[in-house]
Amino acid sequence: MLRGFLVLVVFFLLGEALRVMAGLPVSGGVLGMIMVTFTLMLRGKVSDELAEASRGLISVLVLLITPGVVGVFFIVDQFTGYWTTVVVALVVGTLLSVFTTLVLMKKAAGTAEDGGDHD
Amino acid sequence: MTETNALTVLTAGPMLSVALTLGAFIAAQWLFSRFRKPLWMPPVLIAAVLLAVVVAISGLGFDRYYNGAAWLTVLLGPTTVALGVPLYQQMHHIRALWKPIVMTLPLAATLAAVYALGIAWLMGATPLVLASLAPKSVTAPIAMGIAEQVGGSVSLTLGALLITGVLASLFVDWMARWLKIKDDRIIGFALGLNGHAIGTARAFEISPMAGAFASLGMGLTGVFTALILPLIWSLG
Repeated sequence: MLRGFLVLVVFFLLGEALRVMAGLPVSGGVLGMIMVTFTLMLRGKVSDELAEASRGLISVLVLLITPGVVGVFFIVDQFTGYWTTVVVALVVGTLLSVFTTLVLMKKAAGTAEDGGDHD
Repeated sequence: MTETNALTVLTAGPMLSVALTLGAFIAAQWLFSRFRKPLWMPPVLIAAVLLAVVVAISGLGFDRYYNGAAWLTVLLGPTTVALGVPLYQQMHHIRALWKPIVMTLPLAATLAAVYALGIAWLMGATPLVLASLAPKSVTAPIAMGIAEQVGGSVSLTLGALLITGVLASLFVDWMARWLKIKDDRIIGFALGLNGHAIGTARAFEISPMAGAFASLGMGLTGVFTALILPLIWSLG
């Protein structure tokens, strides 16, 4: 568990280092995630320690994002003057984009599977 | 008098925020299953509402609460890295769907920004508001960077981002039901693409496969938007 956690933290630091050195606009966490995925693909296996640590952290992902979500209720004053615009744009925009993604994926996945998928 | 002193002592360290967050999280999980898992009220929203009420009426205040809770949120970095593990474990499913993913992603990720921008523009939003809304479907640390690059307000972006994440989690559940989509891979991908980390957290509640596809959707949308959006902005 601890060894797995260390691996994750080290990859996060590597991601941050890569971000700063290469001047990438992508976050260290996402770069670390990509690096972990490729490392595991190269190794062809994942250690129990790492799998356990990652499962543990992901199971509390909702807990970790909650403090940020609480902020939504305290930023109302920042939207003063244009909050109707922001709310309408977000609600309708998100509704449309969720619909588009689902329909596109369904169509594309349907065609891919009709085309014969032998994996 | 003694009460204010007690509050001062308790808020000196982060543990009050940590305890409140943990308590709200556990209470939310309990309430969620108690009310037979209502789609319109995911655990993250229940926990956030409970916390907002406590933080507001106890006099703790959001800033002090959030500073303390940073002891938890700092783990979001390594947790994002941890998403790479299920991504690897589900790689055979992702390989099987790589074509639809590659076909869908650029268009869907672009539209995720364009719809909201178009509506806001039609309603007469200022350039600052538009720039703040642009990275709304991107995971927080990336979105903050984009907002700065295109001249938006970071706090407005964070707000838009959080609202989008919660809305996307709700809308994907509803829409998938309405469109009769039962494929966890498609549902997960849509959650991650539109709802970043909040959508991904929701996807892991559905299944590990949905979670892996959400991680993929979140990561790809983040990278794609970070590279493309500042470019488009500089042209426009």
